[in-house]
Amino acid sequence: MPSTAVKPVSTQKDSPDLFVRWQRHGDEAARETLLRQYTPLARGLARRYGRSSEPFEDLMQVATLGLLKALDRYDAARGHAFASFAVPTILGEMRRYFRDSGWAVHVPRGAQERALKVRDAQERLANQQGRAPTVHQLAEYLEVDIEDVVDALQAIQAYETLSLDAPRPRADGEVVAYGDTVGEDDERYELVELDATIAAVLGHIAPRERAILRMRFVEDLTQTQIAERVGISQMQVSRLLRRSLEQLRAMTSAADA
Amino acid sequence: MADKPNVILTLPSRPENVLVVRQALTGLAEGLALDAVDTNDLNTAVTEACNNVVLHAYAGRDGGGAPAQADGGGGERDGEPLEVEVTALEREISVVVRDRGVGMRPSERLEEDEEQRGMGLAVIAALTSQVEFADVPGGGTEVRMRFARARPGRPLEADAPAAGSANGAAILAPLRGSVQLQLAPGSLARAVLPRVLCALAARAYFTVDRISDVQLIAAAIAENAPGSLDGTHLAVAVNVAPRNLDLRIGPLHAGRGQSVLSAAADGLAPVIERLTDVRRVAPLGAGESLELALVDRR
Repeated sequence: MPSTAVKPVSTQKDSPDLFVRWQRHGDEAARETLLRQYTPLARGLARRYGRSSEPFEDLMQVATLGLLKALDRYDAARGHAFASFAVPTILGEMRRYFRDSGWAVHVPRGAQERALKVRDAQERLANQQGRAPTVHQLAEYLEVDIEDVVDALQAIQAYETLSLDAPRPRADGEVVAYGDTVGEDDERYELVELDATIAAVLGHIAPRERAILRMRFVEDLTQTQIAERVGISQMQVSRLLRRSLEQLRAMTSAADA
Repeated sequence: MADKPNVILTLPSRPENVLVVRQALTGLAEGLALDAVDTNDLNTAVTEACNNVVLHAYAGRDGGGAPAQADGGGGERDGEPLEVEVTALEREISVVVRDRGVGMRPSERLEEDEEQRGMGLAVIAALTSQVEFADVPGGGTEVRMRFARARPGRPLEADAPAAGSANGAAILAPLRGSVQLQLAPGSLARAVLPRVLCALAARAYFTVDRISDVQLIAAAIAENAPGSLDGTHLAVAVNVAPRNLDLRIGPLHAGRGQSVLSAAADGLAPVIERLTDVRRVAPLGAGESLELALVDRR
């Protein structure tokens, strides 16, 4: 990941007497000097380890706490460089923070918010330029990494809990609910022509999803065009398509068995 | 290691491919239901190991650290591989990151703490339960990392390989400049393939519309893999060019490539047929490969 490509963290030599002054004599100025000297190390670790964590300042505080602990506990007499002692101490502090804060079991708030931002940016850019944006355009627009956008695209597929399903205003400003636009069954439904096996199970797919399948696979509309027509986001079209195809797949393989 | 790794990646040693490795790991972590801290440990340490390869392993050959070519086009670095192998065990994850370059000399390992490389190695040491370095015969280094899992994992849900399948020896012939994956079929392939292809489609400047198509195709391929393999793993090679993504899936049993494309195949045919621009079955070894081309015409 180029954006966090490694940079030299500290090229300065350790200063054993500074550790002695702080650890033995409680010299705050010596600690201050050491803290300044090794803050880039803590920052580098926070960046490496916490790239998906927001806000960065919170994690930087935790890393600094780890650095302070390392400054207290480092034993220069053992002959190891301070950094080799500080790296595991600081990382250990960040891991504990993640475990204790529930980060390990909940979808990080930052990631959810970013997913929603990506979705909104996508609609804005699609309206501006008349076609769906690329990941690079989204990353540039939101001033985030390519990887953040890629993660967000996956997250939007995965988080069923995100409030993506609410009725949305169309480009003309009119709010439409799904039922209004795609509720009725289409008599000229042509998807059946694609595959006899599919035809047998299509009746089990909800009308809205059937309509979306038809628009994509028969009318060959893009997902953005479908989103516009149905009054939902492209992300949601993508999710519904995926879900319908999974359903079809499960039903056809059951029918084959 | 007796068993074949669950995930094998062979990529040109370029900075932008570290993102592909990370996406594969994240997919793997999802497939294994690793918790977020384990996932973060895994991603962080493997990223450091990959950055070491990308920035230093082939440094003697052209000055090192060649700038990323976003279009994924040619270049001599394409012959310089970054190899990553992941094996999931009940209580730990094992990852090997390998280069075929100059590798790291012993004096540089874990002692050079204040240099960037030493920093990366210190991070790896802190996040793994075990790490070792080995020379690769013929030149290169491999970093072998083990990660303890916070909670024991459920067994991998691997679908049984097709009857009469080979032992996986017949892997893809090297395809210059391509990203190559071998994935254990089942839940792992379903979790990893869409993420990897999504990252590569993003690099190809696909619109999010088309990326979503790529994800549907990836799901269809992963779903369809168990019955079509010649060997134990689903093998996919990907070439990336602006607005173009070429996939080669195989080797497959003879005749299987066509049946994947035909309407008889599990109702999946429409996905692949409608969403790809070119579909072709070509001979590959004793079997065949299915080649798919995707274009984003906007």
